Amino acid sequence: MNETAIELRGLVKSYGKKAVLTGLDLAVPKGSVLGLLGTNGAGKTTMIKCALGLIRPQEGSARLLGEDSWTLSAAAKIRLGYVPQTINLYPWMKVRQLIDYTAAFYPNWNQELAARLMSEWSLPANDRIGPLSVGQLQKVAIVLALGHDPDLLILDEPAASLDPLARRQFLRMIIELAEPGRRTVLFSTHITADLERVADRVAILKAGRIAWQGLLEDLKEQTHVSLEDSFLEMHDA
Amino acid sequence: MRIRVETSSGMPITRQIAAQIRAQCASGTLQHGQRLPSVRALAAELDVNQNTILRVYERLTAEGLLERRHGDGTFVADCVPTGQMQAQRQLLRQEIARAVELAKTLGVDAEELHRLLDDEITLIRD
Repeated sequence: MNETAIELRGLVKSYGKKAVLTGLDLAVPKGSVLGLLGTNGAGKTTMIKCALGLIRPQEGSARLLGEDSWTLSAAAKIRLGYVPQTINLYPWMKVRQLIDYTAAFYPNWNQELAARLMSEWSLPANDRIGPLSVGQLQKVAIVLALGHDPDLLILDEPAASLDPLARRQFLRMIIELAEPGRRTVLFSTHITADLERVADRVAILKAGRIAWQGLLEDLKEQTHVSLEDSFLEMHDA
Repeated sequence: MRIRVETSSGMPITRQIAAQIRAQCASGTLQHGQRLPSVRALAAELDVNQNTILRVYERLTAEGLLERRHGDGTFVADCVPTGQMQAQRQLLRQEIARAVELAKTLGVDAEELHRLLDDEITLIRD
């Protein structure tokens, strides 16, 4: 059972004349926690959307949980959790309603986990989604993505709008949820400090390709500097 | 188990943790047959990825320092050879040399440095 959770080969994607991905290869082994690092506009979101089958690359192939991303089966989708960078939820629903509504789609919904996250993050169950702050929305979206206990969790800049306390709690939760050998987590960020503890693998996206991928410890053995310094060095900063 | 992780360092977290477990075995802080925290527990305590802890335990098991008993946990297997003990002391000397160097740069005199060291020793004892 050494399934590759995500496998991207030679992805090319441009919007009009603007090339975003220029032949991107990435393999995420099952059970790893991969941090995808890249500057703003490096193509992290485009890569994630290609991996999920939300947009179609002009060239290359994307596979998720052993299936073609573009034609994912319901069985694969049920093993998948995704938190997009821009969160759009029904503004007129109350937090609890939205969670119950989402839970109804999943036979394996983990009520206990969802309730625990709600209370740990002090989410107001009876408030409407509309007036929530960006950080609170992000927390709700994370609960929605985790409630069905997915095997593969993909988070696009999940910690970006969280306050320092929530961010700490969130990173702790990722550590706790990422059981070795079982759940695979990919999260994109531009904050290297978040990755140092949480991720065991790193992929650095630069100019539409993966400039480096592998174990974080191998990167450090090679460079003998912190992840932030490696990242800056790769960008000639 | 008392372990400290420095994330902004160039040394991989796996190496930092392994070195500290080795040192604690060498000094006798961890004793033969003693059970180590589970992967999950240590990961939660140090706020690091479980795979990282798993890798450390696997590496130290391969070295013969730890022993993994199926379904029972991870234990300290053997005492450390004296050679390794010396290497650990060497490491400590280097750390101290670095601290002294830094003190010099900051204009901290010998007396104050001694006092700082004493404070740290008291802190660890508590």
